[in-house]
Amino acid sequence: MSKAWFQQRERGSPLMIGIILWVAQRIGRPVARLLLWPITGYFLLTASEARAASRDYLTRLHGHPAHWWQVARHIHSFSATILDRVYFLSGQFAHFDFHYHGLGLLEQEMAKQRGAMMVGAHLGSFEVLRALAIEGMHLPMKVLMYQDHNQYLTRLFNRLNPEVAASVIPLGGAQSLLAAKEALEQGMVVGMLGDRVAESEKLTRGEFLGSETAFPAGPALLAGVLQVPVLLVLGLYRGGRRYDIHIEVMPPMPATTTRQEREQAVQAWTQHYATRLEHYARMAPYNWFNFYDYWRT
Amino acid sequence: MAELSALEQEVAQLIIDALNLEDVAVADIEPEAPLFRDGLGLDSIDALELALAISRQYGFQLRSDDENNAQIFSSLRALSAHIDQHRAQ
Repeated sequence: MSKAWFQQRERGSPLMIGIILWVAQRIGRPVARLLLWPITGYFLLTASEARAASRDYLTRLHGHPAHWWQVARHIHSFSATILDRVYFLSGQFAHFDFHYHGLGLLEQEMAKQRGAMMVGAHLGSFEVLRALAIEGMHLPMKVLMYQDHNQYLTRLFNRLNPEVAASVIPLGGAQSLLAAKEALEQGMVVGMLGDRVAESEKLTRGEFLGSETAFPAGPALLAGVLQVPVLLVLGLYRGGRRYDIHIEVMPPMPATTTRQEREQAVQAWTQHYATRLEHYARMAPYNWFNFYDYWRT
Repeated sequence: MAELSALEQEVAQLIIDALNLEDVAVADIEPEAPLFRDGLGLDSIDALELALAISRQYGFQLRSDDENNAQIFSSLRALSAHIDQHRAQ
């Protein structure tokens, strides 16, 4: 039986992660990147669920059965973005070649000083966006997220950059979204991921790569309740040193009155999100980092 | 069933209206039962909407950094007591 992402045990031993971090920081990115291939091989052999999820996703995307080397490339791309987090969090942006698409839209929203939501996905690296916003652009930013997933890795990354770590508003408490509202009222950007469903969350349905699945209703509901502008933001890894930052404006969520009206508005908004995700997934296929049975619900 | 005070009845109605709980009646809300998760099953979006409705109706803001939040949101009775103490209108 397949497990949801929040039930999965953390992959990779602390020793292995420690070695990679040491190489990444002391010896450098080119050498650390050589280690990504044996790591990819290890996951390809041992992580059967991730392998199956990758194959399923690539098969849906391409419309024909995926080859093992495509699965390998997919896992390699994921491990490369995790390695690069080390550099993003320590502010070493000079290693990279960033291409921006739609940066003006973010600047326009920030100039209005009324706050904006940034909705991302596990498509590409959300961490690159967070680090660029906080470290690179000094944007006042908070991120709504569940905190105890991937604990060991989270602790390590938190130590690398306490400022980025401090920008988290933990989800799950009654006051989580009150904190988000207060941040928006101060003109801050509040980021969140819109593609993964957690327990005890309101859900909606959306079609993604030809099949329906469950999406969290939270981003659409929050945008509707607070009536703030929403940007879709993705940091796609394009190989080598290149990351493409894509920013686009999401349609406004109408303020609704009845429950039925709201359900329809949430579903339409979320479908727009899913359709745009599909667009970017087709543009950069190896950036989809949901390695579990995404269409199970 | 425990008796509700006038304010508790009013707040119960506010919860129902603010959150569109079309299938819940004031009489269904136990004053001491948890509002979130187990009891009424509210989540953080509901908490936000409820906070906005309380600020419209009673003229004061619930704050995320209030250290008593867990207590304030723990039941209809606790929430009503908090409103009673802080209401501006």
